[in-house]
Order: sequence, then C-alpha cells, then structure tokens
Amino acid sequence: MIQFLNLLINGVIEGLVVALPALAMTLVMGVNRFPNAATGDLMTTGAYTAVILQALGVSSLLGATVLAALGTAIISVISYELIFKKLARQPMIASLLAAIGLGFLLRSVISFFAGHDQRNFKLPLVRAWNFDGVRILPSDLNIAAAALVCLLLVFFLLYKTSFGRQLRAVSDNPDLARASGIRARSLMIGLWLLVGMISAIGGVLLGMKAVVMPELGWDHLIPAFAAMVLGGIGSPVGAVLGALIMCVAQELSVPLLGPSYKLVLSFGVLALVLLIRPSGLMGRTELVR
Amino acid sequence: MIAYFVAIGIVSLIYALLALGLNLQFGLTRLVNFGIVAFFAIGAYTSALLALAGVPLLISFICATLLAGFAALPIGLLSLRLREDYLAIATLGFSEAVRITIQQEEWLTKGVQGLPGIPKVFASLGTSQADNALFVLLLALTALVAWGTVRLTRSPLGRLLRAIGDDEPALMALGKNPTKFKVQIFMLGAGLAGLAGAFYAHFITFISPEQFLPLVTFYVWMGLIMGGSGTVRGALGGAVLLMIFLEGSRFIKDWIPGVSEVQMASVRLAAVGLALILVTLYRPNGLFSGNSKT
Amino acid sequence: MNRRNLLKLSATSAALQMLPGLALAQASGVFKVGSLCPVTGAGSPYGPGMQQAIRMAVDEINAAGGAGGVKLELFTEDGQTKPDAAVLAAKKLIEINKVQALLGTWASGVTLAVMPLTDAANIIQMNTSGAPAISNLDTKDLVWRYQATNDRFGQAFAEICKKNGYKRPATMAFNNASGLGNTQGFTKAWEAAGGKVVAHVTYEPNRPSYRSELQKILDAKPDVIVTGSYLPDSTIILREWFQSGVPVKWIMPGWAANPDLVKALGNEVCEGLISVDSVSNEKSASYAHFDKMYTKATGKAGSTNVYAAMTYDMAIVLGLAIEAAGPGATVAQVNAKIREVGNPGGTAVYTFAEGKALLAKKEKINYEGASSKLDFDKFGDVTPDFGVYVIEKGELVRRDVVSIASGA
Repeated sequence: MIQFLNLLINGVIEGLVVALPALAMTLVMGVNRFPNAATGDLMTTGAYTAVILQALGVSSLLGATVLAALGTAIISVISYELIFKKLARQPMIASLLAAIGLGFLLRSVISFFAGHDQRNFKLPLVRAWNFDGVRILPSDLNIAAAALVCLLLVFFLLYKTSFGRQLRAVSDNPDLARASGIRARSLMIGLWLLVGMISAIGGVLLGMKAVVMPELGWDHLIPAFAAMVLGGIGSPVGAVLGALIMCVAQELSVPLLGPSYKLVLSFGVLALVLLIRPSGLMGRTELVR
Repeated sequence: MIAYFVAIGIVSLIYALLALGLNLQFGLTRLVNFGIVAFFAIGAYTSALLALAGVPLLISFICATLLAGFAALPIGLLSLRLREDYLAIATLGFSEAVRITIQQEEWLTKGVQGLPGIPKVFASLGTSQADNALFVLLLALTALVAWGTVRLTRSPLGRLLRAIGDDEPALMALGKNPTKFKVQIFMLGAGLAGLAGAFYAHFITFISPEQFLPLVTFYVWMGLIMGGSGTVRGALGGAVLLMIFLEGSRFIKDWIPGVSEVQMASVRLAAVGLALILVTLYRPNGLFSGNSKT
Repeated sequence: MNRRNLLKLSATSAALQMLPGLALAQASGVFKVGSLCPVTGAGSPYGPGMQQAIRMAVDEINAAGGAGGVKLELFTEDGQTKPDAAVLAAKKLIEINKVQALLGTWASGVTLAVMPLTDAANIIQMNTSGAPAISNLDTKDLVWRYQATNDRFGQAFAEICKKNGYKRPATMAFNNASGLGNTQGFTKAWEAAGGKVVAHVTYEPNRPSYRSELQKILDAKPDVIVTGSYLPDSTIILREWFQSGVPVKWIMPGWAANPDLVKALGNEVCEGLISVDSVSNEKSASYAHFDKMYTKATGKAGSTNVYAAMTYDMAIVLGLAIEAAGPGATVAQVNAKIREVGNPGGTAVYTFAEGKALLAKKEKINYEGASSKLDFDKFGDVTPDFGVYVIEKGELVRRDVVSIASGA
C-alpha cells in the first residue's frame, strides 16, 4: 500500500509537469492542426534560459522563469511567423517535419553554446516529509503547485476571456470562426506566445526536478503526445487528464515491468487509444481517415 | 585508398536501400513512417543473431528481410486507421519501443553490451576483396530494387496506389479495396529496411541498441526529401547527398578553424534541422512530387 | 545550385582534401600513428584531451630524436563515439593515411567495431574501453587495453566494500555497457566471496526522476549502494536520496562522483561519498611529467581526464617499443616489444627520453606510465590501481589504493 501511494504521488507530480507541454501541444493541434514536435525543445530552451540567468546572477528563480518564458514565447512566435504560417496550406506532414527540424536546430544551438554538460538550478535542499513510509518532498510540492497555478491561469485564459473563447471557436470550427470575423492574426500571435510560455515553464519545472541537459524536452515529446491523444486533441482539460493518467500509469507499472519499459507503456497506451477510441477521453476532433 | 571509397560506397548503398524502402512507403502510398529505423534494427539483429548461431548468411539475410516485413504488419494495419501525422508519431513511438525492447531483452540480444564479431559477407575472400565484392553485390541489389520500384510504380497496381494518396473514398466507390495493397507495400518497404539492416550489421560487425536511434530515421528522411521523394532517382540521389553530408563533415573541421571539434556534433545536428525546415518551406516538391516521373 | 553541381563540387573538394594525405603516404622514414578519439558524442568530455595527449607524446618523442631511427607522424580523426562513424574514420586512417598503429578509441562499441579492421591490416590497436569481449576477440594479440575492464572495476568495488565492512550492498546501474558492466562485475565478485546483493535496479538514461528506482533499492534496506552511473543521473539520484532522509552509503565511479557532482549538490549531500577511479600513477615521476605538459597544453589539470593519461602512455609505450625493436622493424616486431618495455623485468623509467637512453645501452626497461604501472597481462590488458577517494567537506580525499591481481 505504501509503495502504491509513493508511486501514485510520483506519478501525479510528474503528470502535472508533463501536463504543460501536453497542453501546449493540444492547443496548437486544435488550432493549427499539426503536432508541434518542437514543443520539447521549446521546453529545453526555457530551462536553459532560466538556469543560465540564474547562474549569471538573477537571484529570483521566479524572475528567471518569467524572463525565460518571455524569451521562449518570442522564439515560438517567430517560428510561427517564419515557418508554420507559411506551411499552413501544405499537408500536415510538412509542418510536422519542419517542427522536428526546428527542434533539432534549437537543441543544436543550445548545445553549441552551452555544451552538453548538465546544469542545475540552485535550489535549497530539504528533507522529505515522511508519513509512515509515504514520502512527500516539499520541493516536489512546490513544483506541483507551480504547475497547477500555471494550468489554472491558462484555463482562466481559455474559458473566461474573449481571447480564449475565440481560440476555442477557431479550434472547433475554423471556417465558421473566420466567417464570424475573428481576427486571426493577433489570435495566432497570442496563441503562439502562450504556447511558448507554457512550454518554457514546463521546461523549468522539469529542470528543477532533474537536471538541465540538451535532451530534456525531446525525451518528453512522446509522453506529451500520448497524453494529448489520450485526453483528446483540442481539449485542454483532456491534455491535463491525459498527462496525469499516463504518468501515474507509468509509475504504477514499474514494479511489474521495470523502469526501462516506461516509454514503451506510453506507446502502448497511445496505440490502444488510437485503436479503440481515437477521439480520446474528451476530444471531438476526428483523427481517423 | 580505393578501399576507403569502397567503404563509403557500401554505406551509401545501405542508406540507398533504406531510402528506397521509405520511398515505397511514403512516395507510393503516402504512409508516413517515422520509425523506419525499427525495421532496420530488426533486420540487423535478426541476421546477426542467426549468423552468430551458425546459420549461413544467405538464410539469415532472408530471415532478416522477412521478419522486418512481418513486423510491419501491425503498424500497417494501424496506419489504415490513422491520419498521417498520428501515424508519424505512432511509428516514432514504435521505433523507440523496439529499440528499448532490444536493449532490455539481454538474454536474446546481449542488450547494451552489443553483439561483436558478426561475420562479414564474403569473409572467405579476405578483407579487401570481401569489401569490393560486397560493394558490387550491393550495387547490383540496389539497382534491382530501384528497377523493381519503377516497374511497380508504373504497373496498374502502382497507379492505383498513387491514386490512393488523397482520394480513398473515390477509389472505394469504384469497388477497389486499397487497404490490402497499402499494407503489402508498407511491409515490402519494411522488408527492404530490414535487408539494409542485415547488410549494415555484417559490414560494421558490431551492433548495439544505441546505433538505432530515431536520428537515423530522420537522416533517411532528410536524404529522401532533399533528393525528392516519390521518385527512385530522388531516393538514390538523396542517399548520396546524405553520405556526402555525413562524411564530408569530417573534412569540414579543417575548413572552419574557429569551431572546436566538440561543437561539430552540434553543427551537424543544426544542419539536419535546418535542412528539414528549408526543404519543407522552399522545396515542397521534395515532399510531394505529384507530377513525378520516377 | 542544382544537385548535379553540388555533387560535383562535393566530390572535388573531398578529393582535394585527400591530396596532402596522398603525398605524405609516399614519404618513407616515418612511423605513422592514427588517433581515433571520441572528440564528439558521448565521450566528448574526454576525447579532445585524449587527442591532445597523444599529440603531446608524439611531439615529445620526435623532439627526443624520434624512435627506431624515424620520426612519428600523427593523423587524427574523430570517432564520434559511434561504431559506424568510427569504422569509416578507421578506414580512412588505415587505407588513406596508412597508419601503422591506431590509438585512443574509448567506447567499447567503437573498439569492437574497429578491431576487425586493425587486425585485418595487422596494425597495433590501443584503447581505453571496458568491455570484457575485447580481450576475447584479440586473437592476434595486437590489441592493448589501457583501462581496467568493467569486471575489474566491479572487483575493486567489491574489495572496497569488504574493507569497509559493508554487509548488505545494493546496486544501481545506468543502462549501458559500462554501467551494467561495473555492477555486474561487482555482483560477480561479491557473490563469489559468499556475499549477497540485496537489490539491483537498472535505470534508463535521461529521466527527470529516479524516485521509483531509488525507492525499490531503499526498500531492501541496504547499507551501501554501489553504482555504475554517470554525472547527470547520479546528480538526480543523490538529490532524491538525500531528500528522502534514509541513511545509506554510496560507492560510485570517479567519472560520476567528481568535483562537478559536488558543485551540483553541495557539500552536505556528498559528504562521505566514496569515489573510485583507476588512479593515474600519481606518485610516479611519469605522472608529474605528463601533468605538467597537459596543464600547459590544455589549461586543465591532468586529474580531470584520466583517459588522457592513458592515451599519453599509449604513444610513449609505442615509441619505446619502436625504439626497442630497432630501425627497420616491422609492425609485428614492434608489437612484440610492447610487453617488454612495459612489464617488470627491467630498470624502471619514467619518460621516453630516459627509456631511449637505456635502450641505446641495450638495457631492459620497464616504463612506469602516467596512467598506471602498465603491466600488460596475457590479453594485453593493464590493471591500473584503483584510487579510493572519500568526499570530505566538498573535497575528494584519497584514502586508499586498491590493487587487483593481474590475470584475474
């Protein structure tokens, strides 16, 4: 029972962090209709920016994160303007390939200047709270809380502001949205800024939990994608639920399958969902032929 | 001196086989396979393990091709139900799943330790002659596959498949069932990749899971779209370009003084990324040669 | 430009690159040495330094008048820590540059892939790889290993555990040949002595958290955890361990438990951690000599790159063997001299110049290297001593040296 609880806690915390890139991917998927494979490397960009800022003397971690989020948001918008906007009329595969290329490019630029060595956020180390064998790390709670706050802000944005309403409208029905006069351009810019920010924050949180390395984001691409599909593309709530379920399932599988098969589990879940219920838990967008 | 070029030639031809396999899958049926390295790996490991157990090479090569082809069946079936970008990511996940499985099942594959001492093709001829003979064999084989692909493309079946790309409902309305053919072509492409993998294993003589990362898939894609997919000439040209890129970067470090060698790996990755972006932006025919002649 | 021109241009430039190599290949009176270090890839923390060390040694030998009446000429290539890239690079070195010895391969996969090529060309190969398979495949006795095999590392771990009185070890291994090799070597040695390993876990690279893996180990209540790990994963694991509050000791390889680890985690976490590494022969004059040159050439201390000391020794041993074999010797004859100049049975020498002088007087020498005593066993493997360091107040303090018997 204790082991189960510990694994559950691990899963929930990791799930909250994975929820961020999953959310970023589902937003782009819903509106621009392609899986943004560069999401992982946007996360890495955010993490590196923050950790380097901290190393350069920015004392507030929050401040460094905000700056990292802004920087990544700008890169995200630029990528839309220069690349993805132009590929909008092409088949999806073009955007997907370009996104992968963008991811490689970001990663290589980072490793060119910052090297391949790991970097760490300067964080105080604290002992875990031990409830009779069930361990909870205060730092993990902080991370989870930060992820939760970020998610809540995004949901507020999506469901309580006109920007969010327009975004969801375009996601559900692009033609109708266009006909009703929603200004696409500023909407898109807003979307890509948001996506960049969410990815960056996800990257920072991940980096805080682990270490910052060039492969940080790429390693989480498939789990994030699987989470998005599980939850139903285009559904923000689905993305979060999908991430939580996926990560908890991964952790709970460790006693049975061992830690090495976690990624295989993601893929297995992905394949299963695609076969049985392609629309995912909460989605309505069709993804079959 | 010649031996070096022969070695490069051999590796180019292995990539060419991979590209031809991918070309069958994507160029002909528009099935996006981001996991071709999985079939490459299956072919490599199958042939290596059989050969190390004493099986004659001809048999091990055939088994490698067949096994890789059959491994594609579940993916082929899955692909029928998926939109292309989902298939892309699903195949990527599949290739990683295959790699991890190979890595973990040590009892079979020796896992991360890898398989050393894989016998070379034509080993009885002595090293330098063996490589020359292998080169000739690969050349003939690649030419055969290329010719076969062209014939396939021009055949009624091929024309049917090219039509499938975008207009499945119309085809079905005509009473033709494309799914069986699509899956078969997919498996054929995977089998080719498996054959390439077998040649790879017996040339390098050492394989380990780390040599079958997704990056290999993207190298082949890069070569394919730079060469112009959907055409056999494109697949072959792409393989050559790819080789020049990979080996040429060895000499680049002598040209660019400021870059440390450590940074060369980043430069190489950046070049792949940039190539992918630029080709999709400015050479859309690289991906979708709707009017290709093969 | 269109594709055809691009192809032509690339082919021409590639050909032009080869010309210098062609010209020099014609020159006689040189012994050609190839270096195939992991300048890029997973071995890149060590590769550039390794290559530099070889160059240093070659320059030193040439400055002392060469060996066997000829100068040494060095050709360098990047193995990229990948077997397929390394094979092509080796082909280039062997076929175009016509090297007579290939030094400096680091990853086991690279060495294993390159060995058939060097064996077929009947040239000498020297590596710093750990896989036991290399010894078995060294049928022509042309392959020389300057790093302890993973097995021996594991044995050293077992020896240290015994000395410290630990009774319940657990192991955690990074999922690659080196990580698993270390822990499997440990388990083999530990169980052979009648002990039991209470738990083992193999973990995946590049994960953000190893809590579940660590949990599994801690649940078995070990008194010490022996790892085959690297820096990033060690950082994460130790951080999570410390925050769990469970008391346990750690024994880690030196490339993971190094000053960078302390920098990442702070003194408190690392206090008492045991770090084990094949010790450079630090008390010897050869190490001091190497360290001085290395620091001058790279700006970093020799202690930051144990593999550089090994590659330096490779070139020096090669030079001494060439000298011992005499002018006009074949590669096979040079190869036969390697044990003679490295193993006991002669006067100890600590630099190339010293060795050359004694060889001129027809005396037998025993080169004590910068990386280890360089006593080659029947497989051509060395057994470096193992330094046992304890991290105290953020510093690595050497507390012990462990020697494993050769031929084990």
